[in-house]
Amino acid sequence: MAELTAVQLFHQEEKRRRFRRGGFFIGLGVLCILLLVPFVLPSYKTVDLAVKIIIFATLVASFDIMLGYTGILSFGHGMFFGIGAYCVAFLVSKYGAPTYLNLMLGMAIAAAVASGLAILISFLSLRVKTIFFAMVTLAIAELAIILATKLSVFTGGEDGISLAMPGIFSFAYSTGKFLGMEITGKIVTYYLILLSCLGMFMMMLRFTHSPLGRVLQAIRDNEQRAEALGFKTFVFQGISITFSCVMAAITGGFYAMWVGYVNPESCLGVFAIMLAVLLMCIIGGMGTLYGGIVGAAFYLITETFLPDLQHLAKDLFPSAVFLHNVLERWYLFLGVLFILVIIFFPKGVIGSVREFIDRRK
Amino acid sequence: MEATFIKRRSRELAVAGVIILFLLPLLGISGKTYLTLTIAGLAMGMLLFLVASGVSIIFGLMDVLNFAHGALFAWGAYVGFTVFNMMMKWVTAESVFKNFAVFLFAIIIAMITVAVLGIVLERVIIRRVYGNHLFQILITFGATIVLVELIRVFWGPNDEVMTVPFSFRGNWDVLDVIVDRYRVICITMGFALYAAIQLILKKTKLGIIVRAGVENREMIQAMGHNIFRLFTGVFAVGAALAALGGMAMSVFSLQVYPDMGGTYLLFAFIVVIIGGLGSVTGSLVGAIIVGLSYNYVAYLVPWAAAGANVMIMIIILLVRPAGLFPAGE
Amino acid sequence: MSESVLKVESVHTYIGQHHILQGISFEAVADAVTVLIGRNGAGKSTAIKTVMGLLAATDGRIIYRGQEIQRKKPYEIARMGIGFVPEDMGIFSGLTVEENMKVAMLVEDKTTHERLERTLNMFSDLRKFWKSKAGNLSGGQKQMLAIARAIVNDTSLLLIDEPSKGLAPIVVESLVKAINQIKERSVVILVEQNFFMASAVGDNFYILDDGFVVHSGVMEELIHNAELKSRFLGISKTANTG
Repeated sequence: MAELTAVQLFHQEEKRRRFRRGGFFIGLGVLCILLLVPFVLPSYKTVDLAVKIIIFATLVASFDIMLGYTGILSFGHGMFFGIGAYCVAFLVSKYGAPTYLNLMLGMAIAAAVASGLAILISFLSLRVKTIFFAMVTLAIAELAIILATKLSVFTGGEDGISLAMPGIFSFAYSTGKFLGMEITGKIVTYYLILLSCLGMFMMMLRFTHSPLGRVLQAIRDNEQRAEALGFKTFVFQGISITFSCVMAAITGGFYAMWVGYVNPESCLGVFAIMLAVLLMCIIGGMGTLYGGIVGAAFYLITETFLPDLQHLAKDLFPSAVFLHNVLERWYLFLGVLFILVIIFFPKGVIGSVREFIDRRK
Repeated sequence: MEATFIKRRSRELAVAGVIILFLLPLLGISGKTYLTLTIAGLAMGMLLFLVASGVSIIFGLMDVLNFAHGALFAWGAYVGFTVFNMMMKWVTAESVFKNFAVFLFAIIIAMITVAVLGIVLERVIIRRVYGNHLFQILITFGATIVLVELIRVFWGPNDEVMTVPFSFRGNWDVLDVIVDRYRVICITMGFALYAAIQLILKKTKLGIIVRAGVENREMIQAMGHNIFRLFTGVFAVGAALAALGGMAMSVFSLQVYPDMGGTYLLFAFIVVIIGGLGSVTGSLVGAIIVGLSYNYVAYLVPWAAAGANVMIMIIILLVRPAGLFPAGE
Repeated sequence: MSESVLKVESVHTYIGQHHILQGISFEAVADAVTVLIGRNGAGKSTAIKTVMGLLAATDGRIIYRGQEIQRKKPYEIARMGIGFVPEDMGIFSGLTVEENMKVAMLVEDKTTHERLERTLNMFSDLRKFWKSKAGNLSGGQKQMLAIARAIVNDTSLLLIDEPSKGLAPIVVESLVKAINQIKERSVVILVEQNFFMASAVGDNFYILDDGFVVHSGVMEELIHNAELKSRFLGISKTANTG
């Protein structure tokens, strides 16, 4: 048997350690919770919340691959999400019919368009510095919204497009009971999205742990050194951007499937999607894919239950006016939290926790 | 010396090309319409110049990309709005003197308030992320969220109507061409400000120090100048300019709304990329280009107006990434 | 024993993760030109920049005229009478020669103007190109401007980083003349790779190698020590350094 090199030994050890790490079991726990939600908390509100967390966690993870692992800040991620949503909407509704084939075609086209656009954008990123790239992606994203709104003949304009799902995913579908609960189209869709997103998340994990992923981290940490070592940084960055944007588009497609409605403001909007993704990524933790889960959960849970939180606060602390005002101005609070996290915990929740654990060893 | 000669010609060529491009619409539309569009474009350009010049100098000197500039712009508009509301009699009075006085007063209050806001922003938040572009973008983005939400807290989330001072309303009839009064005022204001800024930069010692600092930040420190005080000062001035732009823009578009900073920030970025970071002249030229092209295209092909500007920006990035007037040339 | 103007004690400096200065110590005394000499990458520029405060010393002390300056900001250090001429000269190309000098002058009183006159007499080309953009000057003229800027204030210590780099021999000669004039008024610390330049103006030397001071002494001694020159400066033993 050939002797293993030091690097291979290191990888082997890491793989063995992965299953013993606590984080793995927490991830498993989260998965179990998500699997059971439709049965344990079957109200529409909670199931909807769960789906949104799943979708956004995956979206944020894809954003994290660009930002945290490759070190590239793009404000266009919301746009790719919207592109995915619109592609599915086009194929299943406006320019097609609700069939399984069209659904898959929609996803495929979304991926194709996303990769094409991503490659174009990565050509741009070669020539310009971080800040320019951020500005340009912002401009392009805004442009996309304007086009989607103005070219209403093609895109349904501000009114958007509503879509119905085919067959087992459709609203009307029902197939009897399982464990005391009726299996509707929505439930089927829920599990489809959960499993697909799980698959995508695992793909992204593998991507970051692969040799390619390591090269990307090396580029992020010191681009010049990576280049001096012979890596064509541009190619690697391009692959990373494309992969990330295709993932984003696919999550957008799932979003369209679940919500059944796409329009420029909710799907492409910088303020609707991009801002949320950024907040979730930073608070959850840049450069740690799991941060997306934490960030998405935090953001969406608080957003959904905010009215209830407000009432609770009013009941428990009727005189705490400050608390009331803060809860009323949710975004203000988020903005301040965002700034505080950047200044004091730049690694986000997951990152800081990991650092804390490492330091205790 | 051969290379610099050609390089110099390339910028003149680019500007000449743009001028020719801008004269093309004359082929399709009447001279009068063209003039109206041109004036509208120049006016819009001037207002963009006010916002963009601040971003440009702040980046040139401090190497900080201030995403919060749009929020400062909006704050300027809202403070001006409040001043107008408090002195509405003078705004609607049929006296040129009163109108100008309240306009100027609103501008001054807006500029001072936002300058203070800018100083707080710079010292408390931006200082912590010097040198790290990524975090600068993120943190100033966060600051934008906070500032815009504060607008909602203080003024409410709705669009508000901005009253135009009486003598600024209406048109002048110049040689059978209808010319919007306020637009002319904006253009004059813009050029006056440009002249003032250039005067300060070229003739005062402070201006020379700022220009030197834009070129080489490290060296200016090694020559004994307190760069941190310089930064705060320049940032405050940039913020004040944004406030002026916001105030003027609100009268131009007759409204204020909390998110107004966002769209104009984008335009400002496009202007700065075209004109070159760190150059006031670049901001002026870039702003005029953006303003004119937006108005021409908006008239000819309405849905392509914003896209045209983004196109120009991308072309410049590919052909001459440093912009038309990069600092140091 | 000459009075110590600048004393660097066991200074460590990191650039990023690289440990560049590994505890160097050197001293510049009055009425002498001290040369830091060594190969490319030895840490000479880093040492000068650390003294100037442009890089942070993680350990050690830097004492200038009795005061510890290792924690001070560059502009504070400059105002204490230390002038700096960086490796790339740091000329503001978009500004005119006049404006470059204006930025340099920290106070605008009679004595500074007299110093300006003297400096312009020494570097007459600057007077000729007074209103031209500094970017249009030749390499040698830019170097003159850089030095002129650094001495127009009441400078008691002048730090010059590789002034002869990229300059024609005849220009280097006029540079030597200029520095010999300057050293009558200020203490000079010169960083050089060019041995001719170093030996023409230097009185004391310190050889740096890989972030350490490996040898020091009087210039006379170094000129005649072929062994040292070949080991640390890469000067072949048969080369004619005259």
